[in-house]
Amino acid sequence: MKSFSTDSPAPQPNERRRTLMRLAGLGCLLAAAPLAAQGSGMSTVAGMPAAPPLALPDIDGKVVDLASLRGRLVLVNFWATWCPPCRREFPSLSRLQKLFKPGELAVLAVNVGEDAETIFSFAGASDVTILLDRDSAAMRRWPVKGLPSTFVVDKKGRLALRAVGGREFDDAAIVAQLRGLLRV
Amino acid sequence: MRPRQFKLLAVLLAITALPAAAQSRSAQHGEREGVEVKATPLTRPAVLAFYQARGFSAQAISPYADACVFSFELRNTTRKTLRLRLADWRAQTAAGTLRFRLPQSWEAEWARRGVAEPARIAFRWAQFQADIEFAPGDWIMGMAALERPPEGTLRLTVPYTIGKQKHEIVLDRLACAAAE
Repeated sequence: MKSFSTDSPAPQPNERRRTLMRLAGLGCLLAAAPLAAQGSGMSTVAGMPAAPPLALPDIDGKVVDLASLRGRLVLVNFWATWCPPCRREFPSLSRLQKLFKPGELAVLAVNVGEDAETIFSFAGASDVTILLDRDSAAMRRWPVKGLPSTFVVDKKGRLALRAVGGREFDDAAIVAQLRGLLRV
Repeated sequence: MRPRQFKLLAVLLAITALPAAAQSRSAQHGEREGVEVKATPLTRPAVLAFYQARGFSAQAISPYADACVFSFELRNTTRKTLRLRLADWRAQTAAGTLRFRLPQSWEAEWARRGVAEPARIAFRWAQFQADIEFAPGDWIMGMAALERPPEGTLRLTVPYTIGKQKHEIVLDRLACAAAE
């Protein structure tokens, strides 16, 4: 096995300092992280209003528009890398997506206020579509009351379900809720 | 592992472990019929580190870090929607009642001080949200700072409503994190 020092260039001092700062800062919230389980299920949205607009660049700079996904369910998750419950639920987004056909469900993970480098260092090559809301303008148009917040937009473009706080999205209760919406 | 890498790893472990060691003494938890509140005092170094990593200068974030910061977690495991407002929370101390300084007030200060927008966005969403409705199954974490640090312990009252009914959870003997 090759050693780190021969395989990779040594981290630059600024890069190392940034990494230390990020880890230290995250420790602040992780230290206070709950031992209890994530929340369960999602709530129905009263009146099922039309979903606010959402058109943002993905991590490669390609703009993804929610309006172009009409006809399938779209799970929109607002998150940040420094938010412990967001980090905990993130892998379940990918697992959820795999339970549905591409024409049935799209998952959009909208990162708030962070740059592509920071996101990539956490998410790597995730198969979930990550969108960048750098100035949080998109998020302000949605009824977000904290991170993480998640919405399900139905096939007609209406807000159907919401969840505040972390979830395991491949939990049977949530999968059943989504399958129910597919039948509508 | 080369000595330089070992040193880096040791520093990393020390820094990330610091907040847990510093704040775990006086975390308080309260529960009432399916509504849970947990308050964890955060040390000044931990708060500084978190916000500096998000783009604040130490000088800019110091007033917040000095004001006695808690990380709160609230969880609704009832079958009903509950509503609460941070403005209603009361911290009873030997010298009187303190309130939490609301996020909007801090945000106005960051704007005055010219704090960069990415840092302000991170601050906004890292706070315990000031006015929120929790549906069944919802839970949320966030930080909040008192309007000024109290002397001694405090008795925190967290009021909330379910429908038209008022309820409250009280956390006794809560204290700011020990000064470093």
